[in-house]
Amino acid sequence: MKVGLFIPCYINQLYPQVGIATLELLEKLGVEVVYPMGQTCCGQPLGNSGYEDDSKGICQLFVENFKEFDYIVGPSGSCVYHVKKHFDILEQTDDVKRVRKNTYELCQFIYEVLGKTDLGASFPHKVGIHKSCHGLRGLRLGSCSERMDAHYSTEENLLKEVKGLELKTLNRVDECCGFGGTFSVFEEAISVKMGKDRIQDHLDSDVEVVTGADHSCLMHLEGLINRNKQPLKVMHIAEILNSSI
Amino acid sequence: MSRESILNAVKKNKPDGLPLPEINLDFFDEDINLVETFVENLKFVGGRAVQLDNEALLDEEIKKLYPNASKIVSTTKLSQLGTIAISKEIDPHTLEDINLAIIKGELAVAENGAIWVTENDFIVRALPFITNDLILVISKNDIYLHMHQVFEAISKRDRTFGVFISGPSKTADIEQCLVVGAHGAISLTVFIV
Amino acid sequence: MAHADEAAIFNKDEEKVDWHDKALWFVRQKRDKSAHKVKGWEELRNYASAIKANVLSNLDTYLLQFEENAQKNGVTVHWAANAEEHNKIVHGILQKHNAKKIVKSKSMLTEECHLNPYLEKHDIEVIDTDLGERIVQLAQEPPSHIVLPAIHKKKEEVDVLFQEHLGTKPCDGDPQYLTAEARKHLRSKFLKADAAITGVNFAVADTGGFVVCTNEGNADMGAHLAKVHIACMGMEKLIPQEKHLGIFLRLLARSATGQPITTYSSYFNKPEPDKEMHIVIVDNGRTEQLSREDFRASLHCIRCGACMNTCPIYRRSGGHSYKATIPGPIGSILSPGIDLKKHSSLPFASTLCGSCSDVCPVKINIHEQLYKWRQVIVKEVPQPIVKKNVLKMAGNVLANSKIYGFVGKSSRFMLKHTPRFMVYSKLNAWGKARDLPEVKGDNFDEWYKKRKKNE
Repeated sequence: MKVGLFIPCYINQLYPQVGIATLELLEKLGVEVVYPMGQTCCGQPLGNSGYEDDSKGICQLFVENFKEFDYIVGPSGSCVYHVKKHFDILEQTDDVKRVRKNTYELCQFIYEVLGKTDLGASFPHKVGIHKSCHGLRGLRLGSCSERMDAHYSTEENLLKEVKGLELKTLNRVDECCGFGGTFSVFEEAISVKMGKDRIQDHLDSDVEVVTGADHSCLMHLEGLINRNKQPLKVMHIAEILNSSI
Repeated sequence: MSRESILNAVKKNKPDGLPLPEINLDFFDEDINLVETFVENLKFVGGRAVQLDNEALLDEEIKKLYPNASKIVSTTKLSQLGTIAISKEIDPHTLEDINLAIIKGELAVAENGAIWVTENDFIVRALPFITNDLILVISKNDIYLHMHQVFEAISKRDRTFGVFISGPSKTADIEQCLVVGAHGAISLTVFIV
Repeated sequence: MAHADEAAIFNKDEEKVDWHDKALWFVRQKRDKSAHKVKGWEELRNYASAIKANVLSNLDTYLLQFEENAQKNGVTVHWAANAEEHNKIVHGILQKHNAKKIVKSKSMLTEECHLNPYLEKHDIEVIDTDLGERIVQLAQEPPSHIVLPAIHKKKEEVDVLFQEHLGTKPCDGDPQYLTAEARKHLRSKFLKADAAITGVNFAVADTGGFVVCTNEGNADMGAHLAKVHIACMGMEKLIPQEKHLGIFLRLLARSATGQPITTYSSYFNKPEPDKEMHIVIVDNGRTEQLSREDFRASLHCIRCGACMNTCPIYRRSGGHSYKATIPGPIGSILSPGIDLKKHSSLPFASTLCGSCSDVCPVKINIHEQLYKWRQVIVKEVPQPIVKKNVLKMAGNVLANSKIYGFVGKSSRFMLKHTPRFMVYSKLNAWGKARDLPEVKGDNFDEWYKKRKKNE
């Protein structure tokens, strides 16, 4: 099995440690991972802003970069969702179809494809999960509070096996953090308010570390936490799953 | 006047035919105690349930609950407490100061505490709404599990006006505070006989 | 003003935002509890969605069937292509009966058609009889929510409003007292009304009947006392058969308020002898929306308001910030179909979190339609030049690995070395309340290359 590592643009530039943790974790799990140089972005920032047509070149480049892999795995639910959901703008060649089908969010890949939950990690802290919307309601990484299905959560399945980790339950288990890509800038007031409310929920729930499978949401929350000097740390779930003491 | 143009626009713009689903009621089937569930849901929607073993005791029980009611309309033979007789011909405005209406309900719905009543039961359409307090009498054999069964049960009838009543009139329009007694009856008592 | 500007104003009073958010979240929680009690909830949603899709694909047939059956029942059926024709039809019926005092129960359609001002201009008194609607009518405001019209008003505000208009005593906003006073006030209006106007929740093609749902009993108080009952319905309110009411009545109130069913679900089939019953079927842009493949499912809507209660943006910006008859997520996909330019900011008033689509009892893919409207809007409505250029440039840069490598590095450099006062200037909406990420060392590309070299 050959896996192409998909590191979203903002993680590449701003959060290389998340990319590193993802790569190390996959290698630790015995997966052959290649990082295709020359990858850029999935096109989501354009699509979500209404410029989907101008993103075709980006999407096509993505397919070119990843078409030879059995699986494409990335540490960002919303970027993965974009590939799976919105690459319908491309001509649906076999390559495009295969790439869309085989692109996985990291936790989903570990849980569903590798069939593993205990990754040998250890992280003795009180952790709250931010269930990012595109991973949750797009990729269905877990049950959604609006729906009446039985409870499940891919992230929880993995975190529960981490030694010493204490998972905290929030009051609003899956409310949006208000990032929303360009929404965070064009609807600044509400975006900030939503983020503040999410953070307060974690604080009220005795959380020390906020984690999640989508670092764009975490970037937004971290920006607020740092500005307001709040006693919370933000880490991508790959960093926790890759940690050992 | 625009009838034809609207229908033509619909014809032009509608999608290709999509099938009407067959509803499989097995999804919604539950083995539960219908009377208990009904009573529980009736309470939840603000109504009061009184279970009577003997329908002859009905009037006695009503008098206990509404000792001061003097202007009473009963449209059911089960109660003799009516003080005002009504007919289809009366002006409904004259019912404005009725204290209590006693009506036989046709059937009840366990899942939502509602009771189906029709014009045949209350004679004057305004009656169950304009009365200050409302009593509905149902037979415990007429309680159905859910709305699907109910619509099946009432499918053959003379359709004029009918209503599902679930609890007393209420509103939460002021800061989400539930207040019972908006425009319709301010209380609902259901006798299950 | 764009939604973002309205929302920013609303957010100046954070305490009020919290209050508004909590009030609506409370309704969402009640909805969850109620839906959890229903065995087969998701199947109910599937059926409701499929039935509505079938309705749209046979709408002309069902409309004709409904008309025929309603006429057989002695109901007069009218057709209105737009708001103006709707208002004229209603006014015409009222004129025929010399009706001057009208009571109206909740109808978003008559809001959409601006019926009240039209009738008032013709010296007709229209009293909204739903308590929430009466409150906003007295305050001369539009409803801020389709099910909870006065959800934005604090009880103390209602207190003052009632003192002024109904002569009530000051009561510290006691809802019990205020509701009792409203009951008295509106009772006198019901008793004097010449005609009653109601909305329609469901119109049943195979019986020609229609269902009106209320909790207060105001639709019935109006319709059964007045000589004339006019029911106004959007043409999408049809359902094929009576048994389908079983599906929709199970979903509607639970989704709206968490009640298992509304207090009154009144099923009108025939007028009483000596009385008249009219139905006005209204298009007003609906056939056009029907033509739009990507957006026609918005016509499935049964107006429960669940998408508003769940929407984290609606809860924190208030219904008035949408400047549309129907606010919130569903309004944001309906309104652009009516006036694209006027409502062009609404599809962007969302993080595309998808909660609206999952809560929707008829499974409208609301967030996907928001995404699709965005694609339409940037093509058809002039966009801010900076936003447009930046995104188009991004499209070119990100489609080219080499340029991207260069730009990525240089923006990291900028982030790292630009003085704080420039990064956090007023022009930078990100930095107003949030810190930017700290740039440390190599990006992932560089780290990976070095690691390869050292292997």
